[in-house]
This record gives sequence, structure tokens and C-alpha cells, in this order.
Amino acid sequence: MTTAGLHRPAPGNVPAPAAGTRRDRAAAGWRLARLYLVSRRVPMALALLAGLGALLWAALHWHWNIAGGAAARQVIPLTIETGAAAVIAVTTYGPFGEPERAAGRWLPWLRLGAAVALTTVAFGALAAGAAAGAMPGGTLLLLRNLGGMVGIGLLSAAVLGGAFGWTGPMAYLLITEGALAHRSVTPWVWPTRPPHDRGGAICACLVIAAGLVLITVHGPRESGRESGPAS
Amino acid sequence: MTAATAPVRHRTPRAASAVPLNAARLLRVELRRNAMPWILPLIAALFWFDSYRPSTGAAPLYGLRTFWNMGQGGTIIDFGPFVAGVAAWMGSRDGRRGLADLVTATARPRWAAQLATWAATAIWAVAAYLVFVGILFAIYARQGVGGTPPWWWVAAGATAVTAFSAAGFAVGAYWPSRFAAPVATFGGFLAMMLSSQTGFRHNTGWALILPTNSNGNFDSQDSGIFFPWLPDLPIARIIFLAGIAVAALGLTGLPARAGGQWLRRAAAVLTLAGVALAGTAVGLASTARLSAHGMVIPALHDAANDAPITYTPACGHAAGVPVCLNPAYRRWLPDMTAALTPVLAEVVGLPGTPARAGQVAAAYTSSDGGPPQAITLGGHPTALRVSLGMLDMPGPCGFCDGPVATKQFVDQIRLAFAHAFVGAGNGGGSPVQQAVQAALLRGAGIPFAAQPKLVATAKNVPGPAPGPAAGPVYAAARRLATLPAVAQHAWLAVHLAALRAGRLTLKELP
Repeated sequence: MTTAGLHRPAPGNVPAPAAGTRRDRAAAGWRLARLYLVSRRVPMALALLAGLGALLWAALHWHWNIAGGAAARQVIPLTIETGAAAVIAVTTYGPFGEPERAAGRWLPWLRLGAAVALTTVAFGALAAGAAAGAMPGGTLLLLRNLGGMVGIGLLSAAVLGGAFGWTGPMAYLLITEGALAHRSVTPWVWPTRPPHDRGGAICACLVIAAGLVLITVHGPRESGRESGPAS
Repeated sequence: MTAATAPVRHRTPRAASAVPLNAARLLRVELRRNAMPWILPLIAALFWFDSYRPSTGAAPLYGLRTFWNMGQGGTIIDFGPFVAGVAAWMGSRDGRRGLADLVTATARPRWAAQLATWAATAIWAVAAYLVFVGILFAIYARQGVGGTPPWWWVAAGATAVTAFSAAGFAVGAYWPSRFAAPVATFGGFLAMMLSSQTGFRHNTGWALILPTNSNGNFDSQDSGIFFPWLPDLPIARIIFLAGIAVAALGLTGLPARAGGQWLRRAAAVLTLAGVALAGTAVGLASTARLSAHGMVIPALHDAANDAPITYTPACGHAAGVPVCLNPAYRRWLPDMTAALTPVLAEVVGLPGTPARAGQVAAAYTSSDGGPPQAITLGGHPTALRVSLGMLDMPGPCGFCDGPVATKQFVDQIRLAFAHAFVGAGNGGGSPVQQAVQAALLRGAGIPFAAQPKLVATAKNVPGPAPGPAAGPVYAAARRLATLPAVAQHAWLAVHLAALRAGRLTLKELP
């Protein structure tokens, strides 16, 4: 028999999926989510995000400020926010490639859920760390900067691959540092704008929205050359 | 024949010669399979944005153009963390792919293979750093930037890139995880930020070893113009960074799977040697002292580096007085002669009027008794010594609120000349000296109303906050200025010595 002889079965002939209780479906869903999170090394990411929160706490508590004005005081908190965004971007890397894409019906939702959940956890960890002292710009600035950075991380994961998703936020950090030093105020470099600035907030929201949409629909780029299990 | 009775086979000469050949082949394979080239376009873009672009806003002198990208470690910040990240990715490669056991069982010791991987990563990174900096300096040369490039800082930057690659590789080798690369990059950025945080505040002691610290070693724009860039501190930094690199590479040879016992002992010795090297460099930096030409470390100092750079000056004339500048400042010679012409014309023929004007280097150390003056008078016959390195030159100014206007520069020169001519020294001068200074400036075309602001913004002339040109000093100055030029000249010819000695009062002014 060849594939030419195969025909699509009539709708009535498809065997019904095995009926399960709601509890069974919930258990299967939980197992799927757990396996997905483990495959993306989310537990390690959570530990790293907690560590970054502690680092922010230490930086604010012991005043690790760079000498200079208000812009210079932002640099170290911004570096820590960038680290959190880089960690979230790297969790998008999937080790299974095409088989998972072909079989994973819930994969887009899992990607979206993981990214949103990790961003929320990162914000919580950094906000807790910021409680140690005067966070430049306050919690609102933290939310805007972190959200935008995560968006850049997700975008770079979609373009460069999950494993190299960290390059986007790190490069953006350098651009921001240059903009802070030279008093550039374009809203696309939102960390240079004040906390209640509408332009900066809109740009950051656009970037994270684009990142979430792209990572949900398209997923991280997978290199054909990269094979084998990834940690 | 059993294994016990079999004769021992010695390595043939051919096999011995094959070792370096195999190592070269392995290195070539690693160079071809390395991830570093993929990140280089991103680094190139950041290098352009962060190191080149802001530097073009500074005056075309190497000391100013390279202040941020070399003196404050901008090129290292652009390169280092990304190099550390990619090196961590390469270092974690076998572990991430689950090949650690497989490659450990090969004939070549694991550590040797890892070193080949690191070497390939470092070669890519350092070569790219040198190429990018070379292009940067080539562009500067094309733009006619004056002076000589700070080559020792380039060497320190290349060593820093090597150290970042070694440290990142060690992170990846010990932690074969997808997070090794971002964590190494983040660590690199954080280290550089903390280095800036410490370096900006400390201008002596151990903190001088930090690659972002420009205090006392990169903040005179006449380095590389009048005197060579002192290599003492960059050499100490190279030792420090090389020590970090050696220690990090030694660490990768410590685990049991790295190789045999002797190899691991060698790795331990290497680690300790690296730590000792870095510690020695910190100790050397602690002994640094500020000299007129920058930081001197007695143990590393070569007296030959104190010799000034010889040059043929670029000369013009102002009111008949020859004015000569270093050729690096040639583009500002017309501004300089235009600035000096009216003030020299006012005092020509008086005792102590300069017979010539020449540029002198701006020293790192300031003289006692106040800020050093940009213009001083001295010698026999009297010469005007102009230290342009202490002033913002006309044109782009990376450290000002905007470009420096030619008029702003000209007024500063006229103020500095008048201040020096009346003998005010490093202070604000006596009231009568201030009055004569004001009258001279008025005669040179600077109205009284503009003078308080000019004095307040002058870097090297202490004075009150800007306010109205009123009070006894300006009243006396107005009296003097209303006299005919001949009468002013005659009064100055009689009273100049007493004026400079500070023996006159305002009432004695005509």
C-alpha cells in the first residue's frame, strides 16, 4: 500500500478520544505544564531570578551607586533588570525541536504562559529586592524597564534562537548606558525617560507585546546546525 | 609473548612531531567551529554606537577622543561581557550536549582539548578587538586627530578581552548550562559597572588597577602630544588581567576528568601563579604616585618615558609677537592669534610685555596656592606660556553642554592673559589688579557687563558668582577705561611693577 491509496476517513469513523474525568484532564494538563517547565529549565531560572532580587537588595542597601547624577544611579538596578530579562529569554530555548512543534498542540500557550509567569515572578523578586532602599524611579519604573527588556529578550530569542536570547537585553543595556551618559531622550530607550512618561511606557508596552506575540505564535528560532540535548 | 614481556615502545620521532601538528589541527577545527564570529556583528554595532560615535563629539586630540573609549574602558565594556558570554557557551559545549564522558575518554587530555577551545575563542575575540580599535584609530587619523594613540591602553584592552574570555570559559566549563552564557555576560557587565563605581571615586591606591579608572592617568589631553603616554599603569593592568586569565584557565584543569595527576598539579600551580600575578599587580598599583605626566609606578617606571616629544611648532603672529603652538593644536592657531592680538596691542612696549608666546604642556599635578593658570608670564626676555590643554578648544566638546564657540574661547584667552599680565597669580587678584584686568578686557572688546559671567565661567580664574558689573572695582575700572589709550599706557608704564606686587589701592588708580 502506498500513501496514494490512503484516504481521509469519514468524520464519523474517527475514534472518540478516551473519555476522562475532569480530574484526569487536570492531572494531564499539570503534567504537561510541569514537563514543559522542566524542559525549559524554569526551576533554575526561578533560582536565578531570586538571586537577582537579592542582588538588587544588596545594591540598594549598600548604595552601590555610580558617581554622578540621577541617570548614573539607575545603572546598577538597570543591569540587574537586564540580567532578569536575559534569564527569561534563555528559558524559551527548547531541546526537542521539530517533534515537539509537530506534536505539541498546547505549545504556543505554554510558551506564552511561561513567559508571562516568569516575568511576573521576576517583577516580584526585583520589587522585593527594591524594598531595601530608594529604588531610582520607584516600582513603576521597574515594571516598565523590566517589561520592555523582557520584550527585547523574547524578540531576540525569536530572531536569534532561545539560547542566544540574552544578547538582545545585554546589547540594549549598553545602548541605554550610552543614552544615559549622553542625555539622549528617545522613548525607544525608555530607561532614560521619567517614570510617568507616556512615550517611554508606550514603547516598552509595544516591545513586550511584540515579544509575547512572536514567541507565542512563532516560538524561538531553532538552528538546523544545533543538535543534541541541551541543558 | 604476554603483555608483561612485551618490549616497551618508545615514541618515534614522527609521533613526537605530530603532537604540535595535532594541536594546530585541533585549534584550526575549533577556530572554524567557534561561536564567536556570530556575535562579532553585534559587538561591531555596539562598538560603533558606544565607543566611536560619542568620541566624535570631543575635540580632535587623542587624549580627548579616547578618554571614554580607552581611558574609562568603553571598548572593554563593549567587548568583554559579550566575549565572556560566548566563551561560557563554548566552555559548556560538551557538558550541554552530554558529551563530557565521551570526550574524556579520548587520547588527548580533556584539559588540553578545552584549552584549544578557549584559545580559538580568545583568538577570535582579541583579533576582533584589535581590528576594531585599528579601524577606530585609522578613522581618527583620517580626521586629523592630533597626538599619538594610547597604544599601551590598547594592549591593556586586548588583555582584558583575553581575561573575560578565560573567566567566561571557566564558568561554562564548571556549569554546563544554558544559563552559563547569560550569567557570564551579566557578571561581566556587573563587574564593569562596579569597577566604574569604585574607579570614579578613587584616584589613588589599589583602585587604580581597575580598567575603567581614568583618574590621574588619562585625564590630561596633552598626553601623547607633549610627553609620551606613561606605560606604568597599563603595564600593571596587563599583569593584573593576565593573572586573572591564567588563574581562570588553571581552574578548568583542576577537576578529576581534566587529565592525569601531573596535569592537574600543573593546573593548580597555574591557578596559584595567576592569583599571585594579579595580587602583585594590585600591590604595584598601590605604590603609584601622580607625576606631571601621569601615574608613575616606581618598580615599573622607565625614565626614558619622561623625555618630552620633540616637534616643530606651528607659528603665527599676534600684534607683532610670535605665537607658536604644538602642531597637534595647529588648527586653532588662527583663533589663538586673533584672541591675543587686541590684548597684546594694549600692552606692547610696556616693561614685561612678552616677546613671544609659546604653548606648554598641561601637567597632571596642579601648583600650590590655587588652580594652575592657563597663561603665565615668565623668563627673560619675558615669554607668554600658554597651556591650551587646560581649556576647552573651539568646536565639539564632549565634556561640555555643547560645542565651544570661537568667541567663548577667545574671551577665555583674553581673560587669562589679562589675569596673568596684572600679576594676579593663582588667586582672584587684589581689587586694583581686578580693576586693571577689567579695563584691559574692556579695551580688548569685552564689555563690562559681560565680564562677571566670563570670570565666573573661567576654569582657572577664581572669582565671585556672576552678578552685575558694579561695585568699587568696576567703578575704578570704568574710570581707567575712560582715559585715552595713551594715558592708560603711560600710567601702566609707571605703575606696572607696583601693580604686580600688589602694592596699589583702588584710590591710586587715575
